[in-house]
Amino acid sequence: MSVRTLKGKRRWVALGGCLVWLAITFFPLYWVLITSFKTPIAVVGGPTYLPFVDFEPSLTAWRELLSGQRGQFYNTFLASTIIGLSASILATGIGAMAAYALVRFTFRFRLLSALIFVVIAFGGFLLGRNVLGFGQGISLIYAFIAALALAVFSSRFRLPGPELGNNDIVFWFVSQRMFPPIVAAFALYLMYTEMGKLGFKLVDSYIGLTFAYVAFSLPIVIWLMRDFFEALPVEVEEAAMVDNVPSWRIFFGIVLPMSKPGLIATFMITLAFVWNEFLFALFLTNSRWQTLPILVAGQNSQRGDEWWAISAAALVAIIPMMIMAGLLSRLMRSGLLLGAIK
Amino acid sequence: MTTRNDPIKHFFIWPALIIVLVISIFPLVYSLTTSFMSMRLVPPVPARFVGFGNYADLLQNPRFWHVAGTTTLIAFISVGLQYAIGLSVALALNSRVPGEGIFRVSFLLPMLVAPVAVALIARQVLNPTMGPLNELMSALGFPNLPFLTQTSWALGSIIAVEVWQWTPFVILMMLAGLQTLPDDVYEAAALENATPWQQFRDITFPMLLPISVAVVFIRLIESYKIIDTVFVMTGGGPGISTETLTLFAYQEGFKKFNLGYTSALSFLFLIVITVIGLVYLAILKPYLEKHK
Repeated sequence: MSVRTLKGKRRWVALGGCLVWLAITFFPLYWVLITSFKTPIAVVGGPTYLPFVDFEPSLTAWRELLSGQRGQFYNTFLASTIIGLSASILATGIGAMAAYALVRFTFRFRLLSALIFVVIAFGGFLLGRNVLGFGQGISLIYAFIAALALAVFSSRFRLPGPELGNNDIVFWFVSQRMFPPIVAAFALYLMYTEMGKLGFKLVDSYIGLTFAYVAFSLPIVIWLMRDFFEALPVEVEEAAMVDNVPSWRIFFGIVLPMSKPGLIATFMITLAFVWNEFLFALFLTNSRWQTLPILVAGQNSQRGDEWWAISAAALVAIIPMMIMAGLLSRLMRSGLLLGAIK
Repeated sequence: MTTRNDPIKHFFIWPALIIVLVISIFPLVYSLTTSFMSMRLVPPVPARFVGFGNYADLLQNPRFWHVAGTTTLIAFISVGLQYAIGLSVALALNSRVPGEGIFRVSFLLPMLVAPVAVALIARQVLNPTMGPLNELMSALGFPNLPFLTQTSWALGSIIAVEVWQWTPFVILMMLAGLQTLPDDVYEAAALENATPWQQFRDITFPMLLPISVAVVFIRLIESYKIIDTVFVMTGGGPGISTETLTLFAYQEGFKKFNLGYTSALSFLFLIVITVIGLVYLAILKPYLEKHK
């Protein structure tokens, strides 16, 4: 019994408040669930609340949805699942590696190297596009490679100027989230189109969308995983180092298994983000790799207020995440998520 | 030992670095260079360097200021409400209300629903003839309320939907923060006969300040990007009264293919977000240091 436990009347006030919020949380979800079992006539006739009492449930909407009358639900569901799973797995893996490196190793470089990268990337792109007359795609690739090579090369010298370390790298990663996604989505669409002209089909492709999602999930993954790794006791790793175990085996053999809860939680958060993402999918896909949010949003504009069908479509997008929430909450209850969010 | 040096660190960090660089540098380079040009795809107009012309146009466009104001209004009010409700619920859950386990799971749900689906559900619930909310309002003696078709109601509805969807995030974070607070401070306070309100004011709130600042910051930044909810619920209407910055950029960029203008808009957007973030952190810094 903690000292912070409420007693007497306050306890009931708090309970009342929680119940009110519970009702607010659940009502819209309940509403979409029952609407998906209503007939068109029952929907248009005004609000009804209880199945079997004030309306007869029917499977019309679900039958239409499953028979494919309402769009390619099987394909879209499959595309969403494949992209969601692979992007989350990749982002969690790559992000965990980077987060571990940022927690346990020292990185130092001069601000000047970073500036060199930005200047060369900009300059090279403009030079290639406007002066040398390359296409946008080619200019971009050359500029990027040149900028990266020169920046890495320059870091081997003792340059003047302020020195940056691990925290600055983390800040840079996290600050990517501040960039308005509309800019990124639109520019990515153009970049993918340019790459398409060079023979790599990226618009409406598995690789294109997955790559974009991995890149945009990495900041969150790195941020979350860094806290997990910081909370791990360093003694185990030190003991292994005394025994001359190489770093990559420490990471894959000791650290990763120890942080399994953190990895699972991060994976799920990333999956939820990718699964629900709308803007990138809107720009970067058109048919084959369209994801569920786009299809669901399309139900509205295509058919007007056919709420029974829209509800069923929305539920297809919602239910997998609800199942995941159940799994996530079991992790939470065992206190495993605590380290991640502090 | 805190950190060590080993060449393998490059193998660990470079994959992430490369991916984020590739995806982030192109939008940056591309949109910054186009923002200084006059460039349209439909109808195609050859690119022409205009300097700060796009920026000047935008700053003189009343629509830009209107849209920036709307976004700010939605972001600040909804984040304020999210924080107030989220903190209260987290406090209640942390003090072991009966049935706390069930609340914990179910309170998270809205966060996991796709914003597009949330907006569609909101449209059903708020529907003037088929929706339950208007029936409730009529039963309480109000006239049929124009939830999505009149400016102030539409803004209120969007804010309500944002609060519904994102309060769970605040609950989750504040709960995690509350659980890290040490018990002994509260035991000492109980010995001093401090009232619950005093305990909250002098212990809980100050100790939660760092995480509160972070949570509100994250939510503010994310709220400024709002598009899908508005896109589905009102489409920016009635007129442009609920249009947000991202939606405005979408209209200019994807409907009119006015690339230079859109890019300039995006950079102004980035500047707005950065300025708000910096001001916010600068205002709160003295409080954060005081309680360290």
